[in-house]
Amino acid sequence: MVKELKIIGKSTPKLDAKERVTGKSVYGHDIELPGMLHGMILRTKYPCAKIISIDVSEAKALDGVMCVITAADVDVNQIGYKRDHPIFKSKTVNCNRDEIAAVAATTKEIAKKALSLIKVEYEVKKGIYNPFDALKEDAPKLNEFSHDKFGNKNIGESFHYEHGNIEDQKKLSKVIITKRYETSRVTHCCMATSNITASYSKLDGQLTIWASTQVPFLYQRDVAHALKMEPSKIRIIQPIIGGGFGSKLDMLPFEPICALLSIKTGKPVQLLYSREEEFIASPTRQPMIIDLTTGANENGKFTFREVKITMDNGAYTSWGATTPFVMMQTYSSLYQVPACSFDAKAIYTNNPFAGSFRGYGNPQATYSIETNIDLLAKELGIGKDEIRLINANYKGEITGQGLNFKTCGAIPALKKVIEESKYSQRIKSQISNSKSQESGRYKKGIGLASMLHVGGGAKIYRSDGCGTRLKIDHYGYLTIITGSNEIGQGSETVLAMIAVEELGIPIEKIKVINTDTDVKPWDVGVHASRTSFVAGNSLLGAIKLIKEKLNKQAAKLLCIENSDFIYQNGSMFHDDKEIKIDKVVREMHFGLPNELCVVEYFYEPPSSFQDKEFKGDVSGNYAFASQAIEVEVDTLTGKVKVLNVFVSQDVGRVLNPLALQGQIEGGVATGIGFALTEEMIYKNGMLLNPNFHGYKLLTSMDMPDVNFYPVETYDDAGPYGSKGVGEAPLIPTAAAIANAVADAIGIEFYSLPLSPEKILKALKEKTINKVLSI
Amino acid sequence: MLDFDVISPKTSHELFEVISNSQDKNYRFGAGYTDLINDLNNNLQQNLTVINLAKLNDNNFKAININENGVQIGALVTATQLLENNIIQNNYPVLWEATNSVASGQIRASATIGGNVCQASPSGDMSCALVALKAVCEIIDSKGNIREENISDFFRGVKKTSLKKNEILRSIFVPINISKNIKSGYIKVGTRNSMEIAIASIAYHFQKDEQNNVIDAGYAIGAVAPTIVFTKDACDFILGKNINSLNETDVKQFANLIKKYAKPISDIRASAWYREEVLINLSETILK
Ligand SMILES: Cc1cc2nc3c(=O)[nH]c(=O)nc-3n(C[C@H](O)[C@H](O)[C@H](O)COP(=O)(O)OP(=O)(O)OC[C@H]3O[C@@H](n4cnc5c(N)ncnc54)[C@H](O)[C@@H]3O)c2cc1C
Repeated sequence: MVKELKIIGKSTPKLDAKERVTGKSVYGHDIELPGMLHGMILRTKYPCAKIISIDVSEAKALDGVMCVITAADVDVNQIGYKRDHPIFKSKTVNCNRDEIAAVAATTKEIAKKALSLIKVEYEVKKGIYNPFDALKEDAPKLNEFSHDKFGNKNIGESFHYEHGNIEDQKKLSKVIITKRYETSRVTHCCMATSNITASYSKLDGQLTIWASTQVPFLYQRDVAHALKMEPSKIRIIQPIIGGGFGSKLDMLPFEPICALLSIKTGKPVQLLYSREEEFIASPTRQPMIIDLTTGANENGKFTFREVKITMDNGAYTSWGATTPFVMMQTYSSLYQVPACSFDAKAIYTNNPFAGSFRGYGNPQATYSIETNIDLLAKELGIGKDEIRLINANYKGEITGQGLNFKTCGAIPALKKVIEESKYSQRIKSQISNSKSQESGRYKKGIGLASMLHVGGGAKIYRSDGCGTRLKIDHYGYLTIITGSNEIGQGSETVLAMIAVEELGIPIEKIKVINTDTDVKPWDVGVHASRTSFVAGNSLLGAIKLIKEKLNKQAAKLLCIENSDFIYQNGSMFHDDKEIKIDKVVREMHFGLPNELCVVEYFYEPPSSFQDKEFKGDVSGNYAFASQAIEVEVDTLTGKVKVLNVFVSQDVGRVLNPLALQGQIEGGVATGIGFALTEEMIYKNGMLLNPNFHGYKLLTSMDMPDVNFYPVETYDDAGPYGSKGVGEAPLIPTAAAIANAVADAIGIEFYSLPLSPEKILKALKEKTINKVLSI
Repeated sequence: MLDFDVISPKTSHELFEVISNSQDKNYRFGAGYTDLINDLNNNLQQNLTVINLAKLNDNNFKAININENGVQIGALVTATQLLENNIIQNNYPVLWEATNSVASGQIRASATIGGNVCQASPSGDMSCALVALKAVCEIIDSKGNIREENISDFFRGVKKTSLKKNEILRSIFVPINISKNIKSGYIKVGTRNSMEIAIASIAYHFQKDEQNNVIDAGYAIGAVAPTIVFTKDACDFILGKNINSLNETDVKQFANLIKKYAKPISDIRASAWYREEVLINLSETILK
């Protein structure tokens, strides 16, 4: 039996919910420092060109302009995961985001005017916007700083992974299916646009940056490297962050640029993106072309997966190029896979570079695998639900890649959504009544998809840990100083809940401090669905230490043997004896041993590094989920309406149901957009829809009902048995929708998004073919 | 970053005076500002004056008046006010549905019907319904002279109307239904359920006798040509026909007559092919 807990598992509103809804939260845009200047960046006019000259003299002469800088004025290092990205471009421009100059002025209006006075002379070149063109022999080298390590001048990054014997497994296969899948470029659409405020003191050489980063300690190091400064001279403060979703893993040029403007002027400088700039110059999800071959034997057991992925790297290399780390887990280990071969290459083009985005390559991988499974089932004549159950992951499985599933909710999650969505009835009715359906305008269909993702962090950096400091003051208030970060997902709240659970201190008396690198202990950052897991475990470790301290002192005061206490309502109880925590703390300080009630703990998850072949148990635990989605296709317009979404996810244990539901619904919303409507439209490297008018982010009015069924597997590694939940809900959504559309109209699509136009065209071709074949 | 002067007349008298005095200046009217601010953001003119209509206290501009001939809707009536009006809802479902499809609740609270018409966008929703309803624009100049013009003639192109510099749209007249037996509605094709500009739209308002024969037909299409178009030939064709039992050929013929008026363009939101295709598909369903 699992112990009933006091607050864990009960819906608890976010600690700052009131500030958020009353507009009191201070976002980066709200910061105003004395004497602050406004920074703006001049970007290229063309995505691919030689820069002949840059003339900033008129801009410099404008009243109110304090500083204009270009590459010629700064001594900096190149940035990015491969250090192939100059902050300012001086010789060539390689994509439509490229930064050429920046100004700092007393008002935004003057800054804008100054930009218009900068004269840049270009020699326009023909760019390369398709990765396959970039691989051709006669293509020019697109990034002059690339390392040429992978056999072609335009391959920026390359991964190979394999397990099992593909050739043997091919022989065992009854069906083998090969398809090419393509996914589009989408972006995060954070409600707060990118922002930074930098303040440099010429007196002591200290640089303070208010930045919406998701990885403050890595960011501190990156900024230091870019500016050739000592990291400890840089203090990173995170204001309230209006949306992350992975977009704030990479440090982008605008950040060191803003710092440089402050260093040059000695004044605080703020740089805010407009919405248009946000679309043009913030990260995107990497578009991919996925060539996938899979097989299954006559019993429906999967035999192998062979995949080659071509990623459009864009002009420079960002974290986006490392998404194969996550994708290879999905190809190798989502369902039981006896043999797998995986190749992924990131190819330089003159498109904008990508970045990381919730799911980290997994939505693309899962889309290809899960739509492919439907084809296998169809070919074999097996139920699409059945084939998934036959091959599902199971507890105790160690996959070909070495992932160790000590707990596994894959089968329960699948069964739950199949049952709740009435999957087998719905999909069967489609088959038996197909004649009567034919004439109707609206056609319904249902689709199924599952996913596998890390649930206990991911050891890709040298440490995947998190530090916690705790302090209880003279009045019984607890301050949690955590290395972890809040980007709206509710981590502060869940940490406070854990403290309430363990220390019995009411939630109103708990403060969470988590925004300042000068104060908080180290943490690798908020990504990989890791924060509740890693920061939660770190906090539990710290709580254990502080309890030892309190227990010892309380026992002394109550004249009993040192022993365990029960913590409740701000007091400690032992048998019939009670003592208030604040009293214990005061006695600890003012009496012997004259100590403050503070502790520090660092947690490093038990996960291991993968070896050179990418094998190893990379996460503390693993999350599993399935979704069944019902859609209705309007055959007159091609528009897909999502009617109903059924989500079941192995979350280990539910910590905060309210926050969990938020993560599920938010993930599904992003997944629906990825499947149906969102797409950044480029023509020769220029973005044609840099606004919400043309970029179809869905609104609350488009949201279907989301029915959520958590699966609790109580994994020993996670706090109270929990696993990471943040990315999972978006990962299978596009795949389930694509399968549902295929079920509805009998046409499979191999590219996203499933736009009305694409569907209507396909429907029309189908009718014409039918007529012709009669 | 928008920099312009604002003048806010409170009475028609003040308004006419401001217009008269501004004839040699660069000025724009502002009603709900949901189009204007966007326009100015994209292309701010120098030395611009905005004549703010929001403070105007004149019922000719602000009220919905009903008489035996029809409904006179002031140019400053907001989308929200239209939606709250039962007469509109019961007698002109096409206008009500079109109004309800505009943007979102927040935008509808400020967006005015006059602004929608004067913006002369091919995808204006309220405008499309008004064309189907054969509405008449009441235009007044700074001397108080009034002229009336059919809304179809009022539109002259993308963002172009027949308004002269010293003129302003005061109200829009919608003629009374001659029958209670109507078939009326609005279809808007777009990706999102809210915050969406039409990729193609259809406004229809058929009035029928007791046998369901059409005695008056209004049919307009939006976002498929430089202006919203009244599909006159299709309307003439359907007159006298029993709309509840049209045969397949009649439906096809009707749709073909509509197609003639569609001159769609391809842009990032949809191709010309798609616009025409859905226009025809949906036109056929209305009569099925
Ligand atoms: C986010 C967003 C979504 C939108 N969605 C839709 C939509 O779904 N459907 C749709 O149809 N529209 C939509 N619009 C456009 C706009 O809301 C409507 O066209 C609205 O009706 C305009 O009215 P307004 O009062 O705001 O006009 P304003 O912006 O005040 O004015 C519009 C134009 O008309 C002129 N004008 C205004 N009143 C008069 C007058 N009485 N006489 C002469 N000229 C005048 C102004 O000078 C200006 O050129 C949207 C706009 C936004 C910002």
